[in-house]
Amino acid sequence: MIKESVVHIHRMKDMPSSHLLGTGTPMCAGCGGLEALHNMYDILGEKTVFVNAAGCLTLLSVYPFTPFRGGWLYTSMASAPAGAQGVRDAMDIRLQKKQITEEDNMEVVVVTGDGSAYGMGLSATSGAMDRNLDFIYLCYDNEGYGNTGQQYSAATPHAALTSTSKTSHGYPGFKKDLFAIWAAHNPTYVATIIGAEPLDLAKKIEKLRTMKGPRMLIALAPCPTGWDYDPKLSVEIGRLAVQTGVWPLKEYIDGEVIHTKIPKKDKSGKRTPVEEYLKLQGRFSHLFHPQRDERGIAEIQARIDAYWDKVSD
Amino acid sequence: MTRKLLTGNSAAAWGARLAGVDYVPAFPITPQTEIIEDLSLWIDSGEMAARMVTLESEHSMITAAGSAATSGVRVFTATSSQGLLYGMEMVYTVAGWRAPFVMINVSRGLSSPITLESDHNDIMAARDSGFLQIHCASCQEITDSVLMAYRLAEHKDVRLPAIVNQDGFYLSFTREPVDLPDAEKAARFVGVFDPENLQFKSGAPLSQAMAVLGGGPYSYFRYEAHLALQRVLSVYDEIADEFADIFGRRYDIIESYKMDDAEYVFVMMGSYATKARDAVDSLCNAGWKVGLARVRVFRPFPKEKIRQLLSGRRAVAVIDQNLSMGMGGVLHSELATALYGMKDGPAVLASYIGGLGGRDISQQEFFEMIDELKQASDIGQILEPRLLYTKNELTEIRNLQAIAQAEHSEIHNK
Amino acid sequence: MKTASRILGSAFFMAGYEVQDAPRYGAERRGAPLFAYVRADKSPVNERGIISHPDLVVVSDDTLLGMPAAGVLQGVDQHNVLLINSHEQAETWVHRLNTAATVLILPAREDVEDRAELPYIGSSCAAASAALTGVISRKIFAEALGEELKHLGEKVVSENLEIALSAFDAMSSHSGLVKESALPSATDYQKPDWIELPFDDAEISAPAIHAGVTSVQVRTGLWRTMRPVINYERCSGCWWVCSTYCPDGAINVTSEGLPDIDYDHCKGCLVCVAQCPPQAIESIPEHIAKENEASGVSA
Repeated sequence: MIKESVVHIHRMKDMPSSHLLGTGTPMCAGCGGLEALHNMYDILGEKTVFVNAAGCLTLLSVYPFTPFRGGWLYTSMASAPAGAQGVRDAMDIRLQKKQITEEDNMEVVVVTGDGSAYGMGLSATSGAMDRNLDFIYLCYDNEGYGNTGQQYSAATPHAALTSTSKTSHGYPGFKKDLFAIWAAHNPTYVATIIGAEPLDLAKKIEKLRTMKGPRMLIALAPCPTGWDYDPKLSVEIGRLAVQTGVWPLKEYIDGEVIHTKIPKKDKSGKRTPVEEYLKLQGRFSHLFHPQRDERGIAEIQARIDAYWDKVSD
Repeated sequence: MTRKLLTGNSAAAWGARLAGVDYVPAFPITPQTEIIEDLSLWIDSGEMAARMVTLESEHSMITAAGSAATSGVRVFTATSSQGLLYGMEMVYTVAGWRAPFVMINVSRGLSSPITLESDHNDIMAARDSGFLQIHCASCQEITDSVLMAYRLAEHKDVRLPAIVNQDGFYLSFTREPVDLPDAEKAARFVGVFDPENLQFKSGAPLSQAMAVLGGGPYSYFRYEAHLALQRVLSVYDEIADEFADIFGRRYDIIESYKMDDAEYVFVMMGSYATKARDAVDSLCNAGWKVGLARVRVFRPFPKEKIRQLLSGRRAVAVIDQNLSMGMGGVLHSELATALYGMKDGPAVLASYIGGLGGRDISQQEFFEMIDELKQASDIGQILEPRLLYTKNELTEIRNLQAIAQAEHSEIHNK
Repeated sequence: MKTASRILGSAFFMAGYEVQDAPRYGAERRGAPLFAYVRADKSPVNERGIISHPDLVVVSDDTLLGMPAAGVLQGVDQHNVLLINSHEQAETWVHRLNTAATVLILPAREDVEDRAELPYIGSSCAAASAALTGVISRKIFAEALGEELKHLGEKVVSENLEIALSAFDAMSSHSGLVKESALPSATDYQKPDWIELPFDDAEISAPAIHAGVTSVQVRTGLWRTMRPVINYERCSGCWWVCSTYCPDGAINVTSEGLPDIDYDHCKGCLVCVAQCPPQAIESIPEHIAKENEASGVSA
């Protein structure tokens, strides 16, 4: 399934220095989703058609402004993968009929938020993987329905305050394991990424662009507006998500799950405590003020530890 | 010329095949499934050079139809009732994309309660979306209308998707003689789909269907789609004339049957209208001056033609096989709007609602409608809308209720 | 601004007026311009939506006045009052905007750096507005503020109250300057200029953009309240960090391999400041940066 992997980016200095995605979009200052997307766009380039589901990034393109150099098609909240199906099939038909040449063959990229990917759009995503659609899917995950004011979604982590889980204990549910659900379809490739780890992100993008079939990505998208923190902390929070083990960076490829980054442990064998990540965000403030919720913090830590205990180095 | 017995579904599949469609996103639903089964067989066997993909829902199916059309290929799809409604968000959306393609709707009554049989409530729900709507009364008309629909939808002044409607069971599963157009002539009539700038190409940035802020810009796009849909009325005749020249069959926007000196008129849509032709014949034999106006193109609504046809008539019975809850028959309402202010409009515009869930409308019911029209127009009475229902039908439902409500014995006494 | 409109709305309501207040909704965006409206009348308020002829326009962020698309000055003429939260003088603004409106200044607080951090600005704007109407007493205003902010706790309420009341008092000398306007005349009105919309080809009447990267025409740099400035003496030219991490891609690399911030589009999120390894980027308040630019001082 994998053609010979051609990875050009080995060090940070190999990262593209020119940015293809246009500035001037109305995303919040410090948007983690935009950060992941623009890094991805720098590598994928303009021979792409982005097919979008309703979410924050729908507003990338508001008539007559667009940051894209290639294609963009907004569909609906639930059916972006079906939109991608139509675009991909149409291009294949036109290639076959020699109405267009390989020069005009564009990569189809679905972009959705977690609201669509973890919920309403899951059916269409499942169908697309089932049909072995040749496309890329980027879910920018800010752990809530961001565009409508950060109501909780199936991607919201336990105890997070959202506009529909405002009381002192926060969201009572648990974050859905979308990675596992996608992987169960046995698509070509699944990976988690984050804008705060650009080298890891770039390597994965370079790798997947040589593949065919469904290539699925979830990018944790730190969100100043929804998670309640100063925008300048976006990268630090993203890095802590990885360091504390909250956001495992991993791939599913050839039936196996491989972690591309294992959070470092200190001399006493401990990862960075999750509270370093939690305490920077207003949505978890109730765990620290007016007093520390030791049990709540410990529960979150325990779940993370349980996950990493199962991962072999 | 090959005349064979074909079901409405087969006729629809042939329409798609003769139109040389490239792409068929599909999803099965009764009473449409034979369409995609026929197409699937032809494609798999190599008889038809197209690609078919089964999506996982109609909402996705209609999305894929629209997105493929905006990527430059000729698309065909089909659905019915619950499926049409499931995809209704996208029905409006793809029309707003100005994506031209043809969708067959096999009309079927809407849940709840759920039925498989025919009426027009499903297709009526799509009337505000921006899709063209053509209603067929025979299997022949289905094949022919699919071909014409591509010309209309792809016309550069229009560029909107089109629904060709056929009645479930009465057409979809019923065989009638169909003169299949010669493949080469059909291909020449429909032509090659020219996507113009409706395609994603490297080197030609294109963002489609994006968000719009502000009532002014939004209104512009919506108004223009409306004007484009109305353009169908001006470009229709040329296309219909061309079709008639090549294939020998002429379809007007509104079919007129014995309308020349008709005093009383039935106005209907769909396959039940052919029943009305027989009723007209019987009534004329009995000395009445009756005619039938069958609306074929429902969207855009042919206001001028309807006014012309109904001008100077004594009384009109509009028969709706649909029911807008709390209001009444949709065709009746729209006709009343179109006729308002006419100096010589019909004095009586009566509304009859029937045929829901496939309920028959008997010849005797047609005769009785004319009788009511005459009485009303003689004394200048305004007729209340009639929900067609008989004593026998009431007895029937009471018997069924007796079983369903066996615990409640009062039903027996009604 | 939503808070300001709520406080003012409540104040009018408590003063015995019928009220209609609303923010102008768009998708939630941190840092983007926001508007809010308040209508108050002795009789129930019937008109809706954007106020086309405001009696008073309050501008909390004066950089918006440099953004024609924001439409701040729409319907503002000699009959109106324009209250601007600013470091600059009224005369400067009258001249710069070429307006016949009465311009008043609500002096911007000096002791706070990042103006987006000014939590009191909503309260101050509401207070100043209330004073200008001349129909809302100091006491009633205080009540309204207490009511609208009570969910934030006592401390926040009293802090806001102190600052807001000083703004109220500062405007007292202009009390009653903002007057009620009458219903528009039905005999002597500007004709709406209706047209028959011309039919356009689908090529232009479909919602599609046949061009790339038109977004750069939107100067999101106007959102900025803090400006990141690169100290090239400390910058080690590891250009990938700030350029890669900038979410908007607003840091480009020059041919010399140095980062260059595109101030037309930089939103001032300051991720680059936080992430620069040798800490070679500092942040200064935008209005100071502009003053420096105007007076030729380099950052």
